[in-house]
Amino acid sequence: MGKTKTGLRCVALASAGALALAACGGGSGGSGSPSAGGSGGAGAEGTRGGTLTFLSNLEQIAHLDPQRNYTGEDLAFASAYLTRTLTAYAKSRDGVAAGKVVPDLATDTGKPTDGGKTWAFTLKDGSKFEDGSPITCADVKYGVSRTFAQTVITDGPTYAISLLDIPKDAQGNSTYKGPYETAKNDTASFDKALECSSDNKTVTFHLAKPAGDFNYTTTLTAFSPVPKTKDKGEKYDDKPVSSGPYKIIEYTKGQQLVLDRNTNWSAANDTYRHDFPDKIVYKFSLENSVIDQRMQADAGPDQSAISVDSLTTASLTTVFNDPRFKDRRVNEFDPYVRYIAINVKKVPNLKHRQAILAAADRAQLLTIAGGSYAGDLADGVIKPNLAADYEPSGLWDSLLGAKVPDTGNPDLAKKLIAESGAPMPALTYDYGKSPDADKSAAALQSSLGKAGIKVTLNGIEPGKYYATVLAGADKENELAAAGWGPDWSNASTVIPELFTSAGGFDLTHAADKDFTAKAVAAKAETDRAKQGTAWKELNKTAMQNAWVLPTRFGREQRLAGSKVGSASGENGHVYIWAPYGSWGYSDLYVKK
Amino acid sequence: MGTYIVRRVVAMFLLLIALSIIVFLLFAALPTDPAALTCGKQCTPQVIRQNAIRLGYDRPIYEQYGTFMKGIALGRTYGSGSQKFECPAPCLGYSFFRGANVTDLIKDRLPVTAVEAVGAFILWMVAGVATGILAALRRGKWQDRISMSLALVGYSFPSFFIGLVLLYFVIFKFNLMAYPAYTPFASDPAAWLRSFILPWITLAVLYAALYARLTRNQMLDTMGEDFIRTARAKGLTERVVVGKHGLRAGLTPIVTAAGLDLSALLGGAVITEQVFGLPGLGKLSLDAVLQSDLPLMTATVLVVAAFIVVANLVVDLLYAVIDPRVRLG
Repeated sequence: MGKTKTGLRCVALASAGALALAACGGGSGGSGSPSAGGSGGAGAEGTRGGTLTFLSNLEQIAHLDPQRNYTGEDLAFASAYLTRTLTAYAKSRDGVAAGKVVPDLATDTGKPTDGGKTWAFTLKDGSKFEDGSPITCADVKYGVSRTFAQTVITDGPTYAISLLDIPKDAQGNSTYKGPYETAKNDTASFDKALECSSDNKTVTFHLAKPAGDFNYTTTLTAFSPVPKTKDKGEKYDDKPVSSGPYKIIEYTKGQQLVLDRNTNWSAANDTYRHDFPDKIVYKFSLENSVIDQRMQADAGPDQSAISVDSLTTASLTTVFNDPRFKDRRVNEFDPYVRYIAINVKKVPNLKHRQAILAAADRAQLLTIAGGSYAGDLADGVIKPNLAADYEPSGLWDSLLGAKVPDTGNPDLAKKLIAESGAPMPALTYDYGKSPDADKSAAALQSSLGKAGIKVTLNGIEPGKYYATVLAGADKENELAAAGWGPDWSNASTVIPELFTSAGGFDLTHAADKDFTAKAVAAKAETDRAKQGTAWKELNKTAMQNAWVLPTRFGREQRLAGSKVGSASGENGHVYIWAPYGSWGYSDLYVKK
Repeated sequence: MGTYIVRRVVAMFLLLIALSIIVFLLFAALPTDPAALTCGKQCTPQVIRQNAIRLGYDRPIYEQYGTFMKGIALGRTYGSGSQKFECPAPCLGYSFFRGANVTDLIKDRLPVTAVEAVGAFILWMVAGVATGILAALRRGKWQDRISMSLALVGYSFPSFFIGLVLLYFVIFKFNLMAYPAYTPFASDPAAWLRSFILPWITLAVLYAALYARLTRNQMLDTMGEDFIRTARAKGLTERVVVGKHGLRAGLTPIVTAAGLDLSALLGGAVITEQVFGLPGLGKLSLDAVLQSDLPLMTATVLVVAAFIVVANLVVDLLYAVIDPRVRLG
């Protein structure tokens, strides 16, 4: 989940002090009998019927427009109920299994040719929009084209722009400007880059560079179909045409979103999704402490309610110490890794960078962030819920030359500085100001000070933070607080983004040619297992080079009503679905 | 009287225009770039520039202000070509963050806040004034002591505390009612009423305590006046002395406070709306601030200012009705 977090949910996350950058980070065909769980699930059965209610502090879903939806929780919600995608992630409690791509609108997970530069997806027969019209290649093509209208279709992922083989102008902007622009628009290039077969069933993407994981990219709703005749530009956000098992019957921002069954959806055609509840109600604008109380009280209709927000700190002790909540609570990784980036242009000496890592008291930083509920100590930028690409990097065991305790090792840091043969440069630490961030910065300053490393603190107003720290290597300071989550379940949206100049969030400016070449090769690799091995190696290399000080693999805690189950959960228990760090929406059902 | 009203209305408009200029200049001075806020995660300077042009943020501030005021009077058009859209008068701007006309957002929220504020107002005025009169008439007796002690307690608790306590006992502890999710009146009048009961009580407890103390003090002052003694000497009943002479004379400062409190509440009871999940103007304003939604912030500030200015005028006019000694002109 990429760079700048915008949108309403992102605001909520920022207010929680995260400052993490990422995509932020039935009907007629349904059977009347209980349905089996999702692929890779534990075999639990869901039940049809009832009203499933979501409770949220936010006043709306950031975007329901498929091309503008770029927040993990919202992507998961919309993908489950309203917006079908070319490919999707397996529904499984297990992180590795959930990271596997499965077909959705397409008959398979895409056919790469030309070394991963061309990808073809053939659409299933019989897929329909809510108005009964068939979903064709032209609808997918039109949907993708909307991403190029950057002044209208805002906030969404721009992978279509960066990946498709369409010329760029002198400023690096696409010569194709989307479907709303009539003058000076390079429509011919778009038509060439995204082709439809003569039977309007096969979508072929021609990419500028090989992308071995392009079928992961197509899990994003930005690659979903939109019927041209129903497009209302930015107003499409209010009521997108559904291709999923439900459709919008009411959307009052600040109050509620109500979904009812889409009678033109068919379970026979869409074997990926379930349509368990009769109705889905998303309640907005609720106070977090009230949501917590309602979920804990579990009274009446709230038994079939589920919170989409994390529990407040005040509720954590009660919920996690009381056995009453045992089957309803979850405490799992969120999508984000928190770290402190080191500007290699300003701190070019490897030993100096390693000294920073060795001296930092990471345990204290975690305590200030909220202790074990806030997360686990990190050992890299790939976290365990990116299961296919994660393995312990060994950073704190041996990569710095000796074991480094969680509280830091100032003696080792002093030794590394002495070995560097050069005096340690003075450091300035940029961070987004907040009471907790101020405390963390002071703790970092103190722990590095014990090794003789002088740090000047530079708290920046959160609204201006990323504009400041992304000002360019020479203008940026030595240290910058950051957070990152993958755009999809593949470290191809982590390693290249954070450590290569082509990435969107390279605060390290490492510009390591060998590393970049390996990252490019890994990105083009179509064998997922080999690709995973490459990401693990590159993660370890990045840690060995001390380009970042990884501090925390973030966690979050949630609570569900006693009558909410998950078809793919263990014994029907709800769980956080790894691909989006969200509920596994499609498998949620109301227990009888 | 007529001349006075015209003069006050003109002055009110001038004041609102002055306020709008100040608000506009203040927000223009903020470091937030409204065009950048319209842009997503992989935003380019070119897109920011295009959006600035599209929404008029590239123009000098005086031109932006002129367009804003023209929009209020005549409406305005945003964008061009197939993506052109209208913002009809009174157009208070366009919230790119929410993808909606600001006027529509405020229109949606205002009725909720109005019902919340007016309902609470009626409750606290009845309860507060009645308690204050009782306390004044029973000065020093147990009724006075108990009512003023309760008023002190009510006044001491912040609204979020009262709200959460009510929620805890009424909803979660004793299950006297389901959690009151806001429901439009047209959908379900009973559910609509239920969604306001606790917010009304929350606000009323707070304000009734204040008005009970205010009324008591006013009544004690008034009841010691010579004209009250005269009224009693003339043989008027105690009910007439208190109701017609004492209360009426003591009402002026209460009306002043009530007018200002009601107008402030019409701007949104932020905390109460937050606690009870009421989609009112207060929550909208708070979210606008948290999200740096400048057009929405500008509009909500002006709307609240308008309420207060109008309430001041109404209060001044009411003086003449309540107190025969006041002559407007």
